[in-house]
Amino acid sequence: MARNLPIPAPGVLSDEWTIVTPRQLARAGPSARDRKTYVAETGPAGRRSHPLSAIAELVGDLREYRYLLYQLTLRDIKLRYKQAVMGFVWAIFMPLLIVGSGVLVRYAMAYLSGEQFDPAIISGLALKSIPWAFFVGSIQFASGALVGNINLVTKIYFPREVLPISATLAQAFDSAIGALALVVVLPFLGIGLSAASLWALPLTLCLALFTVGTALLVACANLFFRDVKYIVRVLLTFGIFFTPVFFEPAMFGSIGTQLMMLNPLAPILEGIRLAVVEGHDLLRSLVDPRGVVVWSPWYLAYAGGWALGIAAVGVALFHRLEFLFAEYI
Amino acid sequence: MVNDVGITAEGIWKKFQRGEIHDSLRDMIPALLRQVGGRGPRSGELGERDFWALRDVSFAVKAGEALGIIGPNGAGKSTLLKLLSGILRPNRGRLQINGRLRALIEVAAGFHPDLTGRENVFLNGAILGMRGNEVAQKLDLIVDFSGIEPFLDTPVKRYSSGMMARLGFSVAAHMEPDVLLVDEILSVGDLAFQKKCHDHMRSLTAQGVAVVFVSHNLASVAQLCPYTMVLAEGRSQFLGDTVEAERHYVSLVRAARTQTQVSLVLEDFEILDEERRPKSVFRAGEVCRLRATVRANSSFSQFSLGVSLAVPSGDEVFHTTSYRLDGSTVDLEAGQTAMLEARLILNLAGGDYTVFLQCHDYAEVPRKRSEICRFDAGRLQVPAIPEYGGVAFLDPVLDLAVRTDDGSGSPDRELRGSGGMLQG
Repeated sequence: MARNLPIPAPGVLSDEWTIVTPRQLARAGPSARDRKTYVAETGPAGRRSHPLSAIAELVGDLREYRYLLYQLTLRDIKLRYKQAVMGFVWAIFMPLLIVGSGVLVRYAMAYLSGEQFDPAIISGLALKSIPWAFFVGSIQFASGALVGNINLVTKIYFPREVLPISATLAQAFDSAIGALALVVVLPFLGIGLSAASLWALPLTLCLALFTVGTALLVACANLFFRDVKYIVRVLLTFGIFFTPVFFEPAMFGSIGTQLMMLNPLAPILEGIRLAVVEGHDLLRSLVDPRGVVVWSPWYLAYAGGWALGIAAVGVALFHRLEFLFAEYI
Repeated sequence: MVNDVGITAEGIWKKFQRGEIHDSLRDMIPALLRQVGGRGPRSGELGERDFWALRDVSFAVKAGEALGIIGPNGAGKSTLLKLLSGILRPNRGRLQINGRLRALIEVAAGFHPDLTGRENVFLNGAILGMRGNEVAQKLDLIVDFSGIEPFLDTPVKRYSSGMMARLGFSVAAHMEPDVLLVDEILSVGDLAFQKKCHDHMRSLTAQGVAVVFVSHNLASVAQLCPYTMVLAEGRSQFLGDTVEAERHYVSLVRAARTQTQVSLVLEDFEILDEERRPKSVFRAGEVCRLRATVRANSSFSQFSLGVSLAVPSGDEVFHTTSYRLDGSTVDLEAGQTAMLEARLILNLAGGDYTVFLQCHDYAEVPRKRSEICRFDAGRLQVPAIPEYGGVAFLDPVLDLAVRTDDGSGSPDRELRGSGGMLQG
């Protein structure tokens, strides 16, 4: 058996081996996904050909690795409820605390301004507490998602996006339980669902996109700089004062409202409250008796723009830096 | 369609940085921005603190072939595996993988200690790239293969490390790859489990999987791979037949060792027969004498010489020193020479043996670290005897008979077979 191991000379290579470019990959269908060519120099076969292709590749990767995404999400959910005191109460613990704090703050405000405390605001607080808890929880879990799985990141190949996204999905599971509880409770708070309530759905989608984008960015940043986790924790702790959770932006007057609504989460939270609690159609502006513009349809576009923008930037940046993770972690 | 499954690596270079990667934000942010902008320092220029972990490595593995990669620690084996699996990207060169690539690297890496064995099987299966209900369908096979069924619903944090490794390998073994990367993991578990793993890998190759097997265990590479690449200091030193590669590797390791042996010089070494005539081929059971002269360039207070014999894979079959045998050591001044004559009965199986001369200084505490150096002194050969197998020659006498009721067939008489060379 005097067979020699075939080492193709550079020129001969293309005869024996098909060089597949990403464009050909897309045309050849799923079976060709298993062909990978890495060329070090930037060229037509390189992965960095088009910025938008990052998103297309992410969607493809997620479809291919959806089972992994499912399993990792399941793992994160199980771990939260294993050997835990609270169990499923945890899912509504944080929203309850937020509502409790909100009631305190609003009671104090009402007392100082000499008004009667209006129990109706509890429904608004409860409604905002769940998306806010979702955002905070997701970002907190996602910030450690890459560094906490250092074993996997340095040893095994899979699209790394799966890790922060599964952290977000696990948090979404908790929030879904909270939301279910809320749906049961809302009628007792005197809130009937109207057609306008449906606006909550696209706004939730915006929130999801914005959260996933931020989660990718934060996970990635924390891999390169370990203190990002602490910075994020501080920002999230005090973020509740810069986001209209406890209060409505309109309380700050005309300019105050506009400034408040610059926070990408503000139009999402406020929009959900207006649509569900007040039954307001978000395509129409809302001006309160003092002449403050409480809602303008542009806020919808603003929220959507942020959601899409952050998601795109997050995916593109993450995708570009992904193969440096094992080296820099 | 032509089965073009396999890996081609063409002139792969990979660099790393020594020390902390970035001292400050000031270095790092520009570096990252260049990466994002696609103008990163990927082109093959070496920076101030960079070094090449891999230099110009090329090879190809096709369907049904198994390539072994051996090399000392730090040769670049793991880096190469990471490049192949897609975790890292090369700085120069082209790497092409055709087919479903799966890696048997750190098979228990995806395990979470708080989850049960069963939950971890599903999780790990997904991490290793299995799809949908593939794991569910194979669960029974996986559990069978691992042999840990009674503990399947116990959290793996209560497993022994061996159980964990076995479960991990069992999951990994049920992937259906076209291209498989294997790293060292066959050293987990007991002998029976290792054999299972070897058999499994052989069957994969037979099914047309292209296998790359990275190890520094020569014996397991030799068992699995007809071709081997020797990697040292990031370069491919040899690529070809495994037997050749082994020889190359052993001499490489030896060369690295002799560089440190400045304080002792092996002046003379002879392999002789009983009557002190030079000889290199011995029958099993024959007497062999080894004579060595060593000159010291520095002084040693409890100096002792010893010999050891090893098979080509590097496994030692025998070793001793004068100190261990009867406690004898010598006081050696700088410039003096020490002489040793050893008499051995070569009760060895047929094969090639490397003779090493070991130099010890037993003044060294702890004694286990007494070895100063060893010289690769010579070779001797014992021709294979078709009647025997194994690693040693035990001068056998076997008596076989059918037992009858009157006891006439009882094996109480001495029967001399083809053995008994010493007496014969």
